[in-house]
Amino acid sequence: MNKRIKTLLKQAEVYKKQGLLEDAKVEYKIVAKLIQNSENIQNKDKLLSAVSKKIAALARHAEVVASAPTTPEMSEHVNVLIKKLFSFSKDNKNVSKEEADLEGAIALAKFGQFDAALKEFERLLSSASARLPAAKNILRCHVTVDSSDLAFAQLDRWKSEDLFSTEQNETLRTFLEGLLEKKKIKKGPKPAEVPSPEKEEDAVGGQPPEPETITEEDEEAEDISEIENEKDDSDEEFLDISAVAINFDSGPHAGEQVELDVSFQSGNIISLIISSKDESLVKNLKVGSKLDDVHFYSPIAIFRGSGIVSAMTKIASGPKQGDYSLDIKIESI
Amino acid sequence: MAIFNIKKREIECKVVYYGPGRCGKTTNLEYIFKSYKKQVEGEMVSINTEGDRTLFFDFLPMELGKIKGCDVRVQLFTVPGQVQYSSTRKLVLKGVDGVVFVADSLDVRREKNMTSLKDLQKNLKEYGLNIFKIPLVIQYNKRDLQDEGLPVMSVEKMEKDLNRQLKAPSFAASAVSGDGVGKTLQECMKLTLQALHRQFNWSKEDNG
Repeated sequence: MNKRIKTLLKQAEVYKKQGLLEDAKVEYKIVAKLIQNSENIQNKDKLLSAVSKKIAALARHAEVVASAPTTPEMSEHVNVLIKKLFSFSKDNKNVSKEEADLEGAIALAKFGQFDAALKEFERLLSSASARLPAAKNILRCHVTVDSSDLAFAQLDRWKSEDLFSTEQNETLRTFLEGLLEKKKIKKGPKPAEVPSPEKEEDAVGGQPPEPETITEEDEEAEDISEIENEKDDSDEEFLDISAVAINFDSGPHAGEQVELDVSFQSGNIISLIISSKDESLVKNLKVGSKLDDVHFYSPIAIFRGSGIVSAMTKIASGPKQGDYSLDIKIESI
Repeated sequence: MAIFNIKKREIECKVVYYGPGRCGKTTNLEYIFKSYKKQVEGEMVSINTEGDRTLFFDFLPMELGKIKGCDVRVQLFTVPGQVQYSSTRKLVLKGVDGVVFVADSLDVRREKNMTSLKDLQKNLKEYGLNIFKIPLVIQYNKRDLQDEGLPVMSVEKMEKDLNRQLKAPSFAASAVSGDGVGKTLQECMKLTLQALHRQFNWSKEDNG
Protein backbone atom coordinates (compact mmCIF):
# COMPACT_ATOMS: atom_id res chain seq x y z
CA MET A 1 0.00 0.00 0.00
CA ASN A 2 2.76 2.43 0.96
CA LYS A 3 4.61 1.69 -2.26
CA ARG A 4 1.46 2.31 -4.32
CA ILE A 5 0.85 5.61 -2.56
CA LYS A 6 4.44 6.69 -3.09
CA THR A 7 4.22 5.84 -6.80
CA LEU A 8 0.99 7.78 -7.18
CA LEU A 9 2.42 10.78 -5.35
CA LYS A 10 5.48 10.73 -7.59
CA GLN A 11 3.26 10.60 -10.67
CA ALA A 12 1.19 13.48 -9.36
CA GLU A 13 4.32 15.56 -8.81
CA VAL A 14 5.60 14.87 -12.33
CA TYR A 15 2.22 15.70 -13.88
CA LYS A 16 2.16 18.92 -11.89
CA LYS A 17 5.65 19.77 -13.08
CA GLN A 18 4.55 19.07 -16.64
CA GLY A 19 1.62 21.44 -16.26
CA LEU A 20 -0.87 18.57 -16.42
CA LEU A 21 -2.83 19.91 -13.49
CA GLU A 22 -6.01 17.90 -13.99
CA ASP A 23 -4.06 14.66 -14.26
CA ALA A 24 -2.12 15.54 -11.11
CA LYS A 25 -5.38 16.21 -9.28
CA VAL A 26 -6.75 12.80 -10.29
CA GLU A 27 -3.65 11.09 -8.83
CA TYR A 28 -3.89 13.02 -5.56
CA LYS A 29 -7.57 12.12 -5.27
CA ILE A 30 -6.76 8.43 -5.72
CA VAL A 31 -4.13 8.77 -3.01
CA ALA A 32 -6.64 10.41 -0.67
CA LYS A 33 -9.13 7.61 -1.30
CA LEU A 34 -6.51 4.93 -0.67
CA ILE A 35 -5.49 6.56 2.60
CA GLN A 36 -9.10 6.94 3.69
CA ASN A 37 -9.90 3.29 2.97
CA SER A 38 -6.77 1.88 4.55
CA GLU A 39 -6.76 0.78 8.17
CA ASN A 40 -3.05 0.16 8.45
CA ILE A 41 -1.77 3.65 7.82
CA GLN A 42 -0.59 5.63 10.78
CA ASN A 43 -0.97 9.43 10.85
CA LYS A 44 -3.94 9.03 8.55
CA ASP A 45 -5.37 12.45 9.34
CA LYS A 46 -2.03 14.17 8.90
CA LEU A 47 -1.50 12.51 5.54
CA LEU A 48 -5.02 13.29 4.36
CA SER A 49 -4.55 16.90 5.35
CA ALA A 50 -1.28 17.07 3.40
CA VAL A 51 -2.91 15.61 0.31
CA SER A 52 -5.88 17.99 0.64
CA LYS A 53 -3.43 20.89 0.75
CA LYS A 54 -1.79 19.62 -2.43
CA ILE A 55 -5.18 19.40 -4.16
CA ALA A 56 -6.10 22.90 -2.97
CA ALA A 57 -2.77 24.28 -4.22
CA LEU A 58 -3.41 22.65 -7.60
CA ALA A 59 -6.87 24.17 -7.74
CA ARG A 60 -5.40 27.62 -7.04
CA HIS A 61 -2.77 27.13 -9.73
CA ALA A 62 -5.44 25.98 -12.21
CA GLU A 63 -7.48 29.07 -11.36
CA VAL A 64 -4.52 31.36 -12.07
CA VAL A 65 -3.96 29.61 -15.41
CA ALA A 66 -7.64 29.77 -16.33
CA SER A 67 -7.97 33.43 -15.46
CA ALA A 68 -4.85 34.55 -17.34
CA PRO A 69 -5.73 36.99 -20.14
CA THR A 70 -6.27 35.15 -23.41
CA THR A 71 -5.44 38.16 -25.57
CA PRO A 72 -2.90 40.24 -23.65
CA GLU A 73 -1.52 43.32 -25.33
CA MET A 74 1.63 42.41 -27.20
CA SER A 75 4.76 44.45 -27.75
CA GLU A 76 5.22 46.46 -30.93
CA HIS A 77 7.83 43.91 -32.01
CA VAL A 78 5.38 41.00 -31.71
CA ASN A 79 2.66 42.93 -33.53
CA VAL A 80 5.02 43.68 -36.41
CA LEU A 81 5.88 39.99 -36.52
CA ILE A 82 2.21 38.94 -36.53
CA LYS A 83 1.54 41.33 -39.43
CA LYS A 84 4.52 40.00 -41.34
CA LEU A 85 3.88 36.31 -40.71
CA PHE A 86 0.16 36.34 -41.31
CA SER A 87 -0.17 38.61 -44.32
CA PHE A 88 0.13 35.75 -46.76
CA SER A 89 -0.27 37.90 -49.87
CA LYS A 90 2.69 40.17 -49.21
CA ASP A 91 4.87 38.32 -51.69
CA ASN A 92 2.16 37.96 -54.29
CA LYS A 93 2.84 40.45 -57.07
CA ASN A 94 -0.82 40.40 -58.08
CA VAL A 95 -1.86 41.74 -54.70
CA SER A 96 -1.43 45.42 -53.85
CA LYS A 97 0.52 46.53 -50.80
CA GLU A 98 -2.67 47.89 -49.23
CA GLU A 99 -4.43 44.57 -49.60
CA ALA A 100 -1.50 42.76 -48.01
CA ASP A 101 -1.43 45.35 -45.21
CA LEU A 102 -5.13 44.78 -44.68
CA GLU A 103 -4.48 41.08 -44.32
CA GLY A 104 -1.84 41.82 -41.67
CA ALA A 105 -4.22 44.11 -39.81
CA ILE A 106 -6.92 41.42 -39.85
CA ALA A 107 -4.37 38.99 -38.39
CA LEU A 108 -3.70 41.47 -35.56
CA ALA A 109 -7.42 41.58 -34.83
CA LYS A 110 -7.67 37.81 -34.96
CA PHE A 111 -4.96 37.61 -32.32
CA GLY A 112 -6.92 40.05 -30.18
CA GLN A 113 -4.58 43.00 -30.74
CA PHE A 114 -7.49 45.34 -31.33
CA ASP A 115 -5.78 48.66 -30.59
CA ALA A 116 -2.94 47.90 -32.99
CA ALA A 117 -5.39 46.54 -35.56
CA LEU A 118 -7.59 49.65 -35.32
CA LYS A 119 -4.58 51.88 -35.94
CA GLU A 120 -3.77 49.90 -39.09
CA PHE A 121 -7.35 49.91 -40.33
CA GLU A 122 -7.58 53.68 -39.71
CA ARG A 123 -4.44 54.16 -41.76
CA LEU A 124 -5.85 52.03 -44.56
CA LEU A 125 -8.95 54.23 -44.82
CA SER A 126 -6.79 56.57 -46.90
CA SER A 127 -6.40 53.90 -49.58
CA ALA A 128 -9.31 53.79 -52.01
CA SER A 129 -8.98 50.06 -52.65
CA ALA A 130 -8.79 49.09 -48.98
CA ARG A 131 -11.17 51.73 -47.59
CA LEU A 132 -14.42 49.77 -47.45
CA PRO A 133 -12.97 46.53 -46.08
CA ALA A 134 -10.91 48.55 -43.57
CA ALA A 135 -14.07 50.33 -42.41
CA LYS A 136 -15.93 47.05 -41.99
CA ASN A 137 -13.10 45.68 -39.93
CA ILE A 138 -13.06 48.82 -37.76
CA LEU A 139 -16.74 48.21 -37.03
CA ARG A 140 -16.05 44.56 -36.36
CA CYS A 141 -13.27 45.43 -33.89
CA HIS A 142 -15.58 47.79 -31.99
CA VAL A 143 -18.34 45.20 -31.83
CA THR A 144 -15.92 42.48 -30.74
CA VAL A 145 -14.76 44.56 -27.79
CA ASP A 146 -18.41 45.38 -27.02
CA SER A 147 -18.20 49.03 -28.09
CA SER A 148 -21.32 49.16 -30.23
CA ASP A 149 -21.80 52.84 -29.33
CA LEU A 150 -18.35 53.59 -30.70
CA ALA A 151 -19.22 51.69 -33.86
CA PHE A 152 -22.37 53.78 -34.42
CA ALA A 153 -20.48 57.00 -33.62
CA GLN A 154 -17.86 55.95 -36.15
CA LEU A 155 -20.54 55.45 -38.79
CA ASP A 156 -21.90 58.95 -38.12
CA ARG A 157 -18.44 60.43 -38.35
CA TRP A 158 -17.71 58.77 -41.69
CA LYS A 159 -21.02 60.01 -43.02
CA SER A 160 -20.33 63.58 -41.92
CA GLU A 161 -16.86 63.41 -43.46
CA ASP A 162 -18.24 62.18 -46.78
CA LEU A 163 -15.71 59.42 -46.76
CA PHE A 164 -18.05 56.93 -48.43
CA SER A 165 -20.76 57.04 -51.07
CA THR A 166 -24.41 56.75 -50.05
CA GLU A 167 -24.43 53.12 -51.10
CA GLN A 168 -21.29 52.40 -49.13
CA ASN A 169 -22.71 54.09 -46.03
CA GLU A 170 -25.77 51.90 -46.33
CA THR A 171 -23.60 48.83 -46.79
CA LEU A 172 -21.66 49.70 -43.65
CA ARG A 173 -24.83 50.29 -41.65
CA THR A 174 -26.31 46.96 -42.77
CA PHE A 175 -23.01 45.29 -41.98
CA LEU A 176 -22.93 46.74 -38.47
CA GLU A 177 -26.54 45.78 -37.78
CA GLY A 178 -25.81 42.28 -38.94
CA LEU A 179 -22.79 42.10 -36.66
CA LEU A 180 -24.84 43.26 -33.70
CA GLU A 181 -27.60 40.85 -34.47
CA LYS A 182 -25.10 38.06 -34.57
CA LYS A 183 -23.48 39.12 -31.34
CA LYS A 184 -26.89 39.84 -29.78
CA ILE A 185 -25.58 43.10 -28.40
CA LYS A 186 -28.13 45.74 -27.54
CA LYS A 187 -27.88 48.32 -30.25
CA GLY A 188 -26.56 51.81 -29.54
CA PRO A 189 -28.17 55.01 -30.72
CA LYS A 190 -29.51 54.76 -34.22
CA PRO A 191 -27.30 56.53 -36.73
CA ALA A 192 -28.58 59.47 -38.69
CA GLU A 193 -30.91 58.30 -41.42
CA VAL A 194 -29.17 57.07 -44.49
CA PRO A 195 -31.20 57.18 -47.66
CA SER A 196 -32.04 53.62 -48.57
CA PRO A 197 -31.03 52.81 -52.08
CA GLU A 198 -31.84 49.43 -53.50
CA LYS A 199 -29.97 46.89 -51.49
CA GLU A 200 -26.67 46.25 -53.12
CA GLU A 201 -25.66 42.63 -53.48
CA ASP A 202 -22.11 42.73 -52.40
CA ALA A 203 -19.88 40.46 -50.39
CA VAL A 204 -21.55 41.32 -47.14
CA GLY A 205 -24.78 43.26 -47.58
CA GLY A 206 -27.81 41.58 -46.08
CA GLN A 207 -25.79 38.50 -45.20
CA PRO A 208 -24.85 37.43 -41.73
CA PRO A 209 -21.78 39.52 -40.93
CA GLU A 210 -18.49 38.30 -42.24
CA PRO A 211 -15.23 40.18 -42.26
CA GLU A 212 -14.47 41.82 -45.54
CA THR A 213 -12.80 39.48 -47.94
CA ILE A 214 -9.84 40.61 -49.91
CA THR A 215 -8.97 37.43 -51.69
CA GLU A 216 -11.02 34.90 -53.54
CA GLU A 217 -10.33 32.18 -51.04
CA ASP A 218 -12.54 33.78 -48.40
CA GLU A 219 -9.77 33.55 -45.92
CA GLU A 220 -11.34 35.94 -43.45
CA ALA A 221 -14.61 34.13 -43.10
CA GLU A 222 -13.70 33.32 -39.54
CA ASP A 223 -15.08 35.65 -36.93
CA ILE A 224 -12.23 37.50 -35.23
CA SER A 225 -14.12 37.38 -31.97
CA GLU A 226 -13.81 33.62 -31.92
CA ILE A 227 -10.06 33.53 -31.55
CA GLU A 228 -10.16 32.35 -28.01
CA ASN A 229 -12.51 30.30 -25.91
CA GLU A 230 -13.96 28.65 -28.95
CA LYS A 231 -15.02 25.10 -28.35
CA ASP A 232 -14.76 22.45 -31.01
CA ASP A 233 -17.68 22.36 -33.41
CA SER A 234 -20.26 19.97 -32.15
CA ASP A 235 -21.82 19.44 -35.54
CA GLU A 236 -18.66 18.40 -37.32
CA GLU A 237 -18.99 15.70 -39.92
CA PHE A 238 -18.41 12.14 -38.83
CA LEU A 239 -15.21 10.39 -39.63
CA ASP A 240 -15.30 7.20 -41.62
CA ILE A 241 -15.24 4.31 -39.19
CA SER A 242 -13.72 1.11 -40.55
CA ALA A 243 -14.04 -1.10 -37.46
CA VAL A 244 -15.07 -1.00 -33.82
CA ALA A 245 -13.88 -2.71 -30.67
CA ILE A 246 -16.61 -3.06 -28.05
CA ASN A 247 -15.64 -3.55 -24.42
CA PHE A 248 -18.35 -5.39 -22.50
CA ASP A 249 -18.79 -4.85 -18.80
CA SER A 250 -21.68 -7.28 -18.33
CA GLY A 251 -23.35 -10.32 -19.88
CA PRO A 252 -21.68 -13.42 -21.32
CA HIS A 253 -18.82 -11.32 -22.78
CA ALA A 254 -18.15 -9.27 -19.64
CA GLY A 255 -14.52 -8.14 -19.50
CA GLU A 256 -13.93 -8.99 -23.16
CA GLN A 257 -13.17 -6.76 -26.10
CA VAL A 258 -14.82 -7.78 -29.36
CA GLU A 259 -13.66 -6.33 -32.67
CA LEU A 260 -16.11 -6.06 -35.56
CA ASP A 261 -15.71 -4.64 -39.06
CA VAL A 262 -18.05 -1.92 -40.28
CA SER A 263 -19.96 -2.95 -43.40
CA PHE A 264 -21.71 0.37 -44.01
CA GLN A 265 -21.83 3.84 -42.51
CA SER A 266 -24.37 6.59 -42.86
CA GLY A 267 -23.52 9.65 -40.79
CA ASN A 268 -23.37 8.57 -37.19
CA ILE A 269 -24.97 5.17 -37.80
CA ILE A 270 -22.64 2.28 -38.49
CA SER A 271 -23.70 -1.21 -39.57
CA LEU A 272 -21.82 -4.33 -38.52
CA ILE A 273 -22.28 -7.96 -39.42
CA ILE A 274 -22.30 -10.53 -36.64
CA SER A 275 -21.89 -14.14 -37.63
CA SER A 276 -24.71 -16.52 -36.72
CA LYS A 277 -22.04 -18.49 -34.83
CA ASP A 278 -21.78 -15.62 -32.34
CA GLU A 279 -25.32 -15.89 -30.97
CA SER A 280 -24.07 -15.07 -27.46
CA LEU A 281 -22.79 -11.74 -28.79
CA VAL A 282 -26.20 -11.00 -30.27
CA LYS A 283 -27.73 -11.60 -26.83
CA ASN A 284 -25.35 -9.03 -25.40
CA LEU A 285 -26.32 -6.43 -27.97
CA LYS A 286 -30.06 -5.93 -27.68
CA VAL A 287 -31.68 -2.91 -29.31
CA GLY A 288 -31.39 0.00 -26.90
CA SER A 289 -28.25 -1.38 -25.21
CA LYS A 290 -25.88 1.41 -24.28
CA LEU A 291 -22.24 0.76 -25.18
CA ASP A 292 -20.16 2.98 -22.97
CA ASP A 293 -16.71 1.87 -24.04
CA VAL A 294 -16.24 1.54 -27.78
CA HIS A 295 -13.06 2.09 -29.78
CA PHE A 296 -13.90 3.51 -33.19
CA TYR A 297 -11.21 2.82 -35.77
CA SER A 298 -11.04 5.65 -38.29
CA PRO A 299 -8.56 6.08 -41.14
CA ILE A 300 -6.49 8.45 -39.04
CA ALA A 301 -6.71 7.10 -35.53
CA ILE A 302 -8.68 5.12 -32.98
CA PHE A 303 -11.14 7.18 -31.01
CA ARG A 304 -12.79 6.15 -27.80
CA GLY A 305 -16.49 6.85 -27.45
CA SER A 306 -19.92 5.46 -26.81
CA GLY A 307 -22.87 4.27 -28.83
CA ILE A 308 -26.29 2.74 -28.62
CA VAL A 309 -27.62 -0.32 -30.45
CA SER A 310 -30.27 1.14 -32.71
CA ALA A 311 -31.26 -1.93 -34.79
CA MET A 312 -30.62 -5.66 -35.05
CA THR A 313 -31.88 -7.65 -38.04
CA LYS A 314 -31.40 -11.28 -38.99
CA ILE A 315 -30.31 -11.38 -42.62
CA ALA A 316 -32.94 -13.39 -44.51
CA SER A 317 -31.21 -14.04 -47.84
CA GLY A 318 -27.93 -13.84 -49.72
CA PRO A 319 -24.46 -15.06 -48.78
CA LYS A 320 -24.80 -13.70 -45.22
CA GLN A 321 -28.14 -15.41 -44.64
CA GLY A 322 -28.59 -16.26 -40.98
CA ASP A 323 -26.06 -13.66 -39.83
CA TYR A 324 -27.11 -10.51 -38.02
CA SER A 325 -26.91 -6.91 -39.17
CA LEU A 326 -26.35 -4.64 -36.21
CA ASP A 327 -26.70 -0.87 -36.30
CA ILE A 328 -24.93 1.26 -33.73
CA LYS A 329 -25.66 4.93 -33.36
CA ILE A 330 -22.50 6.77 -32.36
CA GLU A 331 -23.29 8.95 -29.37
CA SER A 332 -19.91 10.39 -28.66
CA ILE A 333 -16.53 10.05 -30.26
CA MET B 1 2.15 27.44 -49.26
CA ALA B 2 5.87 27.88 -49.76
CA ILE B 3 7.11 31.05 -51.41
CA PHE B 4 9.47 30.54 -54.32
CA ASN B 5 11.29 33.68 -55.40
CA ILE B 6 12.70 32.73 -58.78
CA LYS B 7 14.74 35.92 -59.20
CA LYS B 8 16.46 35.56 -55.85
CA ARG B 9 16.57 31.76 -56.14
CA GLU B 10 15.05 31.62 -52.69
CA ILE B 11 12.46 29.34 -51.22
CA GLU B 12 10.66 29.82 -47.92
CA CYS B 13 8.52 27.11 -46.39
CA LYS B 14 6.52 26.62 -43.22
CA VAL B 15 6.60 23.68 -40.83
CA VAL B 16 4.11 23.53 -37.97
CA TYR B 17 4.51 21.53 -34.77
CA TYR B 18 1.05 20.32 -33.78
CA GLY B 19 -0.15 18.27 -30.82
CA PRO B 20 -2.10 18.33 -27.57
CA GLY B 21 -1.42 20.86 -24.83
CA ARG B 22 1.77 20.31 -22.81
CA CYS B 23 3.09 17.60 -25.16
CA GLY B 24 6.41 19.38 -25.72
CA LYS B 25 6.05 21.33 -28.98
CA THR B 26 7.70 24.44 -27.56
CA THR B 27 10.41 22.31 -25.93
CA ASN B 28 11.20 20.89 -29.39
CA LEU B 29 11.69 24.39 -30.80
CA GLU B 30 13.70 25.49 -27.78
CA TYR B 31 16.06 22.56 -28.27
CA ILE B 32 16.39 23.33 -31.99
CA PHE B 33 17.07 26.98 -31.18
CA LYS B 34 19.84 26.02 -28.74
CA SER B 35 21.40 23.27 -30.79
CA TYR B 36 21.26 24.50 -34.37
CA LYS B 37 22.73 27.97 -33.85
CA LYS B 38 24.32 28.01 -37.29
CA GLN B 39 21.03 27.43 -39.06
CA VAL B 40 18.88 29.64 -36.85
CA GLU B 41 18.16 33.05 -38.37
CA GLY B 42 17.40 35.49 -35.58
CA GLU B 43 15.54 34.92 -32.34
CA MET B 44 12.91 32.44 -31.30
CA VAL B 45 9.68 34.21 -30.47
CA SER B 46 7.35 32.63 -27.93
CA ILE B 47 3.99 34.10 -27.12
CA ASN B 48 2.90 32.30 -24.01
CA THR B 49 0.74 32.79 -20.98
CA GLU B 50 0.54 31.72 -17.33
CA GLY B 51 2.25 28.39 -16.72
CA ASP B 52 4.30 28.70 -19.93
CA ARG B 53 1.38 27.61 -22.06
CA THR B 54 1.69 28.73 -25.66
CA LEU B 55 -0.95 31.37 -26.23
CA PHE B 56 -0.61 32.25 -29.90
CA PHE B 57 2.41 30.47 -31.35
CA ASP B 58 6.17 30.00 -31.15
CA PHE B 59 8.20 31.06 -34.15
CA LEU B 60 11.71 30.08 -35.15
CA PRO B 61 13.18 31.03 -38.55
CA MET B 62 15.96 28.84 -39.97
CA GLU B 63 18.25 28.92 -42.96
CA LEU B 64 18.94 25.46 -44.35
CA GLY B 65 21.53 26.29 -46.98
CA LYS B 66 21.31 25.72 -50.72
CA ILE B 67 19.35 23.06 -52.55
CA LYS B 68 19.59 23.05 -56.35
CA GLY B 69 21.05 26.53 -56.21
CA CYS B 70 18.21 27.90 -54.10
CA ASP B 71 18.54 29.31 -50.61
CA VAL B 72 16.10 27.37 -48.47
CA ARG B 73 14.52 29.06 -45.49
CA VAL B 74 12.09 27.40 -43.13
CA GLN B 75 9.80 28.97 -40.59
CA LEU B 76 9.06 26.68 -37.67
CA PHE B 77 5.84 27.33 -35.78
CA THR B 78 4.06 25.69 -32.88
CA VAL B 79 0.36 25.97 -32.21
CA PRO B 80 -1.31 26.37 -28.83
CA GLY B 81 -2.37 22.87 -27.80
CA GLN B 82 -5.20 23.64 -25.39
CA VAL B 83 -8.60 22.72 -26.82
CA GLN B 84 -10.04 26.22 -26.43
CA TYR B 85 -7.54 27.79 -28.86
CA SER B 86 -9.03 26.09 -31.87
CA SER B 87 -9.22 29.22 -34.06
CA THR B 88 -5.63 30.19 -33.31
CA ARG B 89 -4.44 26.71 -34.25
CA LYS B 90 -6.26 26.98 -37.53
CA LEU B 91 -4.82 30.43 -38.22
CA VAL B 92 -1.25 29.29 -37.49
CA LEU B 93 -1.72 26.26 -39.71
CA LYS B 94 -2.53 28.41 -42.72
CA GLY B 95 -0.02 28.02 -45.55
CA VAL B 96 1.66 25.02 -43.90
CA ASP B 97 4.05 22.92 -45.98
CA GLY B 98 4.97 20.23 -43.45
CA VAL B 99 3.68 19.07 -40.08
CA VAL B 100 5.32 17.47 -37.07
CA PHE B 101 2.69 15.90 -34.85
CA VAL B 102 4.06 15.70 -31.32
CA ALA B 103 2.29 13.04 -29.28
CA ASP B 104 2.60 12.76 -25.52
CA SER B 105 3.76 9.30 -24.43
CA LEU B 106 2.18 9.57 -20.98
CA ASP B 107 -0.60 7.02 -20.58
CA VAL B 108 -2.96 9.65 -19.18
CA ARG B 109 -2.63 11.72 -22.39
CA ARG B 110 -3.73 8.96 -24.77
CA GLU B 111 -7.09 10.43 -25.66
CA LYS B 112 -5.70 13.98 -25.89
CA ASN B 113 -3.30 12.72 -28.59
CA MET B 114 -6.15 11.20 -30.57
CA THR B 115 -8.33 14.27 -30.23
CA SER B 116 -5.50 16.53 -31.34
CA LEU B 117 -4.74 14.37 -34.38
CA LYS B 118 -8.40 14.49 -35.31
CA ASP B 119 -8.32 18.29 -34.89
CA LEU B 120 -5.29 18.47 -37.18
CA GLN B 121 -7.05 16.42 -39.84
CA LYS B 122 -10.12 18.65 -39.60
CA ASN B 123 -8.14 21.91 -39.81
CA LEU B 124 -6.03 20.68 -42.73
CA LYS B 125 -9.19 19.63 -44.52
CA GLU B 126 -10.61 23.12 -44.10
CA TYR B 127 -7.58 24.43 -46.00
CA GLY B 128 -8.10 21.80 -48.69
CA LEU B 129 -5.18 19.71 -47.44
CA ASN B 130 -5.21 15.98 -46.90
CA ILE B 131 -3.54 14.55 -43.81
CA PHE B 132 -2.54 11.49 -45.85
CA LYS B 133 -0.79 13.62 -48.46
CA ILE B 134 0.83 16.45 -46.53
CA PRO B 135 4.44 15.89 -45.40
CA LEU B 136 3.85 14.59 -41.88
CA VAL B 137 6.11 13.17 -39.20
CA ILE B 138 4.91 11.84 -35.87
CA GLN B 139 7.02 12.21 -32.76
CA TYR B 140 6.40 10.15 -29.62
CA ASN B 141 7.72 12.57 -27.04
CA LYS B 142 8.56 12.24 -23.34
CA ARG B 143 10.07 8.76 -23.67
CA ASP B 144 12.44 9.71 -20.83
CA LEU B 145 9.58 9.56 -18.33
CA GLN B 146 9.57 5.79 -18.69
CA ASP B 147 12.94 5.72 -16.90
CA GLU B 148 11.39 7.65 -14.04
CA GLY B 149 8.85 4.88 -13.62
CA LEU B 150 5.91 6.81 -14.96
CA PRO B 151 3.12 5.06 -16.88
CA VAL B 152 4.16 5.60 -20.50
CA MET B 153 2.55 3.99 -23.53
CA SER B 154 4.66 1.68 -25.65
CA VAL B 155 5.66 3.00 -29.06
CA GLU B 156 3.76 0.05 -30.59
CA LYS B 157 0.57 1.09 -28.82
CA MET B 158 1.00 4.70 -29.95
CA GLU B 159 1.67 3.55 -33.50
CA LYS B 160 -1.57 1.59 -33.38
CA ASP B 161 -3.48 4.52 -31.91
CA LEU B 162 -2.16 7.26 -34.14
CA ASN B 163 -0.30 5.87 -37.10
CA ARG B 164 -2.10 2.68 -38.03
CA GLN B 165 -3.39 4.09 -41.28
CA LEU B 166 -1.34 7.24 -41.73
CA LYS B 167 1.91 5.26 -41.80
CA ALA B 168 3.88 8.46 -41.39
CA PRO B 169 7.55 8.29 -40.39
CA SER B 170 7.68 8.31 -36.61
CA PHE B 171 10.34 8.86 -33.97
CA ALA B 172 10.60 8.27 -30.26
CA ALA B 173 11.92 11.39 -28.60
CA SER B 174 12.65 13.30 -25.48
CA ALA B 175 12.53 16.98 -26.29
CA VAL B 176 14.00 17.93 -22.89
CA SER B 177 17.21 16.02 -23.60
CA GLY B 178 17.00 16.51 -27.35
CA ASP B 179 16.83 12.81 -28.21
CA GLY B 180 14.98 12.38 -31.49
CA VAL B 181 14.35 16.11 -31.95
CA GLY B 182 16.85 16.56 -34.77
CA LYS B 183 15.82 13.34 -36.50
CA THR B 184 12.18 14.42 -36.42
CA LEU B 185 12.93 17.80 -37.95
CA GLN B 186 15.30 16.38 -40.55
CA GLU B 187 12.71 13.84 -41.71
CA CYS B 188 10.00 16.47 -41.87
CA MET B 189 12.27 18.79 -43.86
CA LYS B 190 13.19 15.95 -46.20
CA LEU B 191 9.53 15.17 -46.89
CA THR B 192 8.62 18.86 -47.18
CA LEU B 193 11.39 19.59 -49.66
CA GLN B 194 10.51 16.50 -51.69
CA ALA B 195 6.92 17.74 -51.86
CA LEU B 196 8.08 21.23 -52.87
CA HIS B 197 10.34 19.67 -55.47
CA ARG B 198 7.30 18.03 -57.02
CA GLN B 199 5.22 21.19 -56.62
CA PHE B 200 7.70 23.57 -58.23
CA ASN B 201 8.97 21.02 -60.70
CA TRP B 202 12.58 21.92 -59.94
CA SER B 203 14.09 19.45 -62.37
CA LYS B 204 12.25 21.18 -65.23
CA GLU B 205 13.48 24.50 -63.90
CA ASP B 206 17.07 23.23 -64.05
CA ASN B 207 16.66 22.02 -67.61
CA GLY B 208 15.16 25.33 -68.61
